[in-house]
Amino acid sequence: MSDVGIVRGCKIPKDLYYSVDDHTWVRLNDDGTVTVGMTDVAQNLAGPVLHAKVKKVGLTRAKGKPIGTVESAKWVGPIKTPVSGEIVAVNEKLADDPQLLNRDPYGEGWVVKMKPTNWDEEVQELQTGEEAVQKYQEKVEREDIKACEHVE
Amino acid sequence: MNFDINSTPLDLTGEKYKDVPYEEKVRLMNEVKEDVRFHDVLYGCYECGVCVAACPSARFYDFSPRVIAQAMAREDAELVYTLMNDSIWDCSQCFSCDRCPRGNSPGGLITLMREVAVKNGLETAKEALEGYGRIIYKIMSTGTQVSPDMLQPNAFPDWGHHVNEIADNLDLWRRALPPETLHTVETGWSVSEKTIIELYLIWHMTGVMDMIKEIDEGLFMILQDVMEERLEDAGYDVTFDE
Repeated sequence: MSDVGIVRGCKIPKDLYYSVDDHTWVRLNDDGTVTVGMTDVAQNLAGPVLHAKVKKVGLTRAKGKPIGTVESAKWVGPIKTPVSGEIVAVNEKLADDPQLLNRDPYGEGWVVKMKPTNWDEEVQELQTGEEAVQKYQEKVEREDIKACEHVE
Repeated sequence: MNFDINSTPLDLTGEKYKDVPYEEKVRLMNEVKEDVRFHDVLYGCYECGVCVAACPSARFYDFSPRVIAQAMAREDAELVYTLMNDSIWDCSQCFSCDRCPRGNSPGGLITLMREVAVKNGLETAKEALEGYGRIIYKIMSTGTQVSPDMLQPNAFPDWGHHVNEIADNLDLWRRALPPETLHTVETGWSVSEKTIIELYLIWHMTGVMDMIKEIDEGLFMILQDVMEERLEDAGYDVTFDE
């Protein structure tokens, strides 16, 4: 894996694009699709995930709309897509093992793959690399978000 | 054993909210008074304290239904504002205070104050309700009760250490319940199509969804998603305002 930034113990891989305010990440794949998921900070805030319901393949979603719902013991909320597009694949494993979101938020815990419809424009509003780490650092400090604990 | 679970005393000096304009405090107080139910919950108060004596929350928190009735009766906008932020969420809405000899219902008054706090998106209301998002989601999306897996040790630490043992064997506990309670979630908690559609429409038309939007946008978004889709399938062309 490439370079990983650390913000209060939470991992922020620098090769991904982030919507920091929505706690989501995007990976640009070779075939032009993107993979979307929740960040390490998000899974830590939610706590152990009990249910993850992901939208269906074929659905077109505008940026900011829910592509899934996550429930932990105390919290429920949407995973908002950071890019507009059509859902071309969903992570079926999350239905049986939602805590993949906690254990491996940037890998096995991916949420959907999408065919973006407005990538060139929307990528401008996302952060990547050192800038993403910096912006996350500011958010975590401003909102006093608790530190990540990883049980390996 | 220490029952003092909330030792923070209520700050009645007005210092905490001195930067909030007086006009805003009056506006919120008037919104409570303008509710059609207001005249059924507050007649007058002679400070007998019967409500406080009956109030379970008063035993555990720095909380008094009498102070709330008094503050509203005196139209003390400063105090009402403080109470609307830091006191009303300590009430368990049991309505034991309804034994008031003057016929007041401090609990009913608190219901109105809570609604005003929520509709106006007060930060303290958001904080107070933060932990209930999942409960609201479950009840409103399914039209029935909370889900059995909600009994998680980290959700209710105040229930004590034995919650761990119960949470670990939750499926077994449910199977052990008497048969007349229909111990499967599917059959016991199923809601008819007609009922769920009616519930969604009621929440839409009465402004409940607007209140939720004010307090928790993420929760609003996922409920909207569930409800719009199901209403559309049932032939209703309903959109929840964005």
